[in-house]
Amino acid sequence: MKVKFWGVRGSLPVPGRKTERYGGNTSCVEVRSDSGTRVVVDAGTGIRKLGKELVAEAVGNTEVHLLISHTHWDHIQGLPFFSPLYQKGNRLCVYARKRDDMHLRAVFASQTDDPYFPIPFDEAKADIAFSELSDSAKFEIADVKVACARLNHPYIATAYRLTVDGASVVYVSDTAPFSDILFEDQFIAQPPTPGAELPKTDLKKLARMREGVVRLCEGADLVVYDTMFTNDDYKRIPHFGHSRPSDALQICQEAGARQLALFHHAPERSDAEVDAILAETKAAAKRDGMKLDVVAAYEGLDISVGRG
Amino acid sequence: MELTFWGVRGSIPAPGPGTVRFGGNTSCVSLGTSGGKLIILDCGTGARNLGNSLLGGPFGKGSGAASILLSHAHWDHIQGFPFFVPLYIQGNAFRIHGGAKSSPMLEGILEGQMAPQYFPVQTLKNMGASIEIVAIDEGQPFSVEGCQVTARTNPHGRSGALAFRIEDAGRVLVYASDAGYARTGAPKTSIDLYAHADVLIHDSTYTPEDRERYADRGFSSVDDAVTVAVAAKVKRLVLFHYDQDYADADVDALVARARRLLDEAGASGIEVAGAVEGETLTV
Repeated sequence: MKVKFWGVRGSLPVPGRKTERYGGNTSCVEVRSDSGTRVVVDAGTGIRKLGKELVAEAVGNTEVHLLISHTHWDHIQGLPFFSPLYQKGNRLCVYARKRDDMHLRAVFASQTDDPYFPIPFDEAKADIAFSELSDSAKFEIADVKVACARLNHPYIATAYRLTVDGASVVYVSDTAPFSDILFEDQFIAQPPTPGAELPKTDLKKLARMREGVVRLCEGADLVVYDTMFTNDDYKRIPHFGHSRPSDALQICQEAGARQLALFHHAPERSDAEVDAILAETKAAAKRDGMKLDVVAAYEGLDISVGRG
Repeated sequence: MELTFWGVRGSIPAPGPGTVRFGGNTSCVSLGTSGGKLIILDCGTGARNLGNSLLGGPFGKGSGAASILLSHAHWDHIQGFPFFVPLYIQGNAFRIHGGAKSSPMLEGILEGQMAPQYFPVQTLKNMGASIEIVAIDEGQPFSVEGCQVTARTNPHGRSGALAFRIEDAGRVLVYASDAGYARTGAPKTSIDLYAHADVLIHDSTYTPEDRERYADRGFSSVDDAVTVAVAAKVKRLVLFHYDQDYADADVDALVARARRLLDEAGASGIEVAGAVEGETLTV
């Protein structure tokens, strides 16, 4: 299995010299099985370049399965610029968590409504299908086995484990740690009061969610994890729903994962700062006696996972 | 007046080594008026850096005020809005002018971007600053931060894009991003709006070849920009809103082409430059 990063940034794309090396495009990761099944996780601006490559490779018989962690802009804003959408004969299957308030198709179609985008969704020429998922769905995409777990993020996000060719990759983005705040659909305006106890029902839910994520990462060859926050960020804005590298390390350690990719870098993070965070995280893993290999995801990184 | 370019790119931000010189952020220009006020033209991703740059002054303390003019609501002209930090500081006051049939409709358009399925803040009402939203009455001059502003619709997409003429103490700036004129040329209303401007910031998304290839996208070629600059007898033309696939060298070629076309048209007196992210220009 191959895992390629097309966009590694969180919140919004950040062009410029300070992000040249790790890349400024928002979240998009491509997973290819040895037999050629193509699963893409998230459709941030990084998906635009993947689309160009696909169109150059083959015209009119491309099949892409797109798993969406959640529909915040930085995870869907590239889709209207995904060239295969505008070619007849291509097929796109979009998967995301089912919501009670809005059908998945409407969430995507609204993105290209007037006055936001010149080409209406209905004018896309590819065949587009939507599958709505439950929090712990398990299904197959050709030879790829997919399993899901719920994450702790405003308006709720989904983690995916993809297993194929005897190897597994898990995508855990976006999520807060499972300790201080339970995120559901409500807007949280302020960080919690320090020392305030969470209601028991919330603590229970968080513990169950965390257990689900650890189980999803069990023995994974690669875990891609939202590590947008530094410790200082988390102290300041824990109610924004993102994790620190230390949170990812703990989950990987408990799950016995082999490799961790730091992902969803903050927009303000310069290349030098990501380098420093990577070095610190590697040192922390070593200090804790972990055998975990740690990388910081960058645009264009193409990892062979498992034996493939 | 003083102009600063925060985003000069069209359609979608274009990060990467190929765009670092001209910049990859989408459309946003700030205008410091002769009276010391602030007007913001469009809120593409460039608005994030603009917002951060303002935090050292009154906007960081909740005592800032500014007006925002939106040419239209395609993503590349509003997607930086949720990341403009001064909007989250209580006490700051913003007045947003844009094209729509009514002010509530314009508010609905901006609310749509903040909706919970797309953005964690969920609504404009959670942002903190005071935000007033006003639909523009096309062709009727109105007052913004001590300047006189006139707006006219250019053909673009399904609902057009507004071009703005801003007059400040005898100086004239025109912002005309996203203009896909008919083959017969720009309408007279547009040329009249641009007439004798000190600076015309104009959509120059494409080479003439790409303009032909993507004719239905509603953008200008650099040739179109030169044609209107000559017809309107402007003093300076600034190329803007480059295609997302154009590297810095491609934009250099657009600027060189504009210079050559102006000279060939006998308009050597018109200055021309390509807008560069982070650069400031005094009018």
